[in-house]
Amino acid sequence: MSAWLFVPDVGAEQQESVIGRTNPLVKLGIAIVWLLGLGLTVDVRPPLALLAVALASGVWLGAIPQGVLGRRIAPFAVAAVAIAVTNLLFSGHNTDPLATELFRIGPLRVTAEAVAAAAGLGARIAAIVSIGAVFTLTTDVTRLIDSMVQLGRVSPRFAYGALAAYQAVPKIVEDLATLRGARRLRGLREWDPRLLVGLLVRAIRHADQLAIAMDARGFGSGPRTTYRPVAWTQLDAVVAGSAAVILLMALILGR
Amino acid sequence: MSDTEVARADFAGFDGDDASRAVDAGSRIDAAPITAARLGAGIVLQDPASQLVMERVGDDVAFGLENLAWPMATMRARVPDALAAVGLTGFEGRRSTRLSGGEQQRVAIAGVLATRPGLLVLDEPTASLDPYGAAAVFAILTELQSRGEATIVLVEHRATLAWPIADLVLALDDDGRPIAVGAPADVLRRSGKRLEAAGIWLPEGGPGPAVGAAGSVRHPAGALGTFPILELEGVRFGFEPGTPVLRSVDLQVVAGDRIALVGPNGSGKTTLLRLALGLLKPIAGEIRLGGRAPSRLTSLELTRQAGYVVQDPELGFLADSVRQEVELGLDADQVRYAHELCDRLRLPLERFGDASPYRLSGGEQRRLSLVTGLARRPLLLALDEPTYGQDRRGHEALVAALDELVGQGSAMLAATHDERFVRDATDRRVELEDGWVVADDREDVA
Repeated sequence: MSAWLFVPDVGAEQQESVIGRTNPLVKLGIAIVWLLGLGLTVDVRPPLALLAVALASGVWLGAIPQGVLGRRIAPFAVAAVAIAVTNLLFSGHNTDPLATELFRIGPLRVTAEAVAAAAGLGARIAAIVSIGAVFTLTTDVTRLIDSMVQLGRVSPRFAYGALAAYQAVPKIVEDLATLRGARRLRGLREWDPRLLVGLLVRAIRHADQLAIAMDARGFGSGPRTTYRPVAWTQLDAVVAGSAAVILLMALILGR
Repeated sequence: MSDTEVARADFAGFDGDDASRAVDAGSRIDAAPITAARLGAGIVLQDPASQLVMERVGDDVAFGLENLAWPMATMRARVPDALAAVGLTGFEGRRSTRLSGGEQQRVAIAGVLATRPGLLVLDEPTASLDPYGAAAVFAILTELQSRGEATIVLVEHRATLAWPIADLVLALDDDGRPIAVGAPADVLRRSGKRLEAAGIWLPEGGPGPAVGAAGSVRHPAGALGTFPILELEGVRFGFEPGTPVLRSVDLQVVAGDRIALVGPNGSGKTTLLRLALGLLKPIAGEIRLGGRAPSRLTSLELTRQAGYVVQDPELGFLADSVRQEVELGLDADQVRYAHELCDRLRLPLERFGDASPYRLSGGEQRRLSLVTGLARRPLLLALDEPTYGQDRRGHEALVAALDELVGQGSAMLAATHDERFVRDATDRRVELEDGWVVADDREDVA
């Protein structure tokens, strides 16, 4: 139902693209390093450069249809603009008499320094959102978990447990709708802290069932093999290297 | 001990023909399943959705093999075989959350079969499935049984489907004590009466009177007048654009109607109930409950018009004890009626009053949710799979309580897969398929 929106499907085309074939851990690493790198600068240009690279590679190397990418980013883009505008209007620079005044809106004085800071902030949020969108739209969750277990030495118990729980999200969203309906039909407010009790009981029940099912199938009972082997490839090295160069260039741009 | 616990106990202690040990092994429930797969046993649970681990069907079937450290090449060969055995050839890449309940349950069976277990335990595997899904699962069990590769232990209320394929029947009473054990024909001959007295379903055509229909006087359709309780006109609904769940549904529910809403899993039955109760708003068309749009009614007005018994009773519970749950928001008169209902539905408050609703067995929870739905004598009672997991006595009590409600001028609308319930408790059949009303034996559907 509508809850499927929470667990997006990654299409075959995206999975077989250059970015799709890149190991999810490499992509995750790039996302983290880029975000940390952006922390080194307040300039507006580096985040804009990374944003452009992320979107362009998402479309050309990740085979993400532009409309899909746009719809994924749109709500966050609105938030980024709103945050930037708020920061622009209420920036401390605006009351700094030494700052360069650009214009006034009634009693409000807007300075060049405030514009620069707000633009830097907005650009950084937009970059984070775009990088995240390209990652989720090209990464198959199963492959991410497989890579974490096989290459990242994450405990299979934790990783596959998390994967199974992740798949329960749509079910819990549906449960919430049913719970609210049941309350309404009994003459109670639909939103009430007690709702969480019912939901919690359900989630625990579900986890319990799942744990029984997983244990019954021999999970965690000894050494296990894998049905979907994952290995590092040359592509991973090329993508990681390119990403490092791109980040460096973006940072130089901001100096 | 509930049926489910017995199934898990079977897991630990079942050793061929020593059936009583299976029951005694309850204390080993928690420790057992971890090693069960290694011991060559597999279990299939009631709820198909909560036993699928991996996102894709092929990966899920391979999950048990990985855990037993099968070599990769052997797994690659085994997975398609296991899927073929349950009639799901070529489903490897499909997403398990997108399958119907019946398909999901077959995937779960494939995942268990893949490891070639010597013992296969199934805990009401068809409880939530439509007749097509249930028939497919039983066809697979019949096939497995005839090949004789595994011992099958099946916990099941659907006697008509289960008894014919059983070599041995073990009947348990409410407290988990064995009543009878033996070949199906022998058990039926020797202990049929005792099983019946204990409220256990017997295969149809066996001894015992037909349930429900006996004793209850059916009002002919519309005998109570044509006072319209619920009207749907050209109702359309979808959660996402482009994927309609209901496409132009017309339905008139009048006082005295007992409607069975039938159709495959995913045909829109639950959605139709929620629309009728104003929990969802239609995209197009009109819905009137007692003459007004149900989604505009206040919660209090709504409770006078309609009651809702949800498919999963736990999602309907709002209080900490059975007594509070039963009495929640009722006036003195309704409380008296609710207490009476509790006794009739075998939930006496002297015994159950202080228990938490969440601690009841599945069948008891189901009956508790019926009490809460019936207590206000709503004009329209909407029920979603009300017979799930009920034994015969629960079924009879339910049919009687519904008869009484409808006899007083209400109407019931029940989404169900249970043909026995359709026969015993309803007199009008509305069939949904893929969002269309494809049959309504009251009105001719074009």
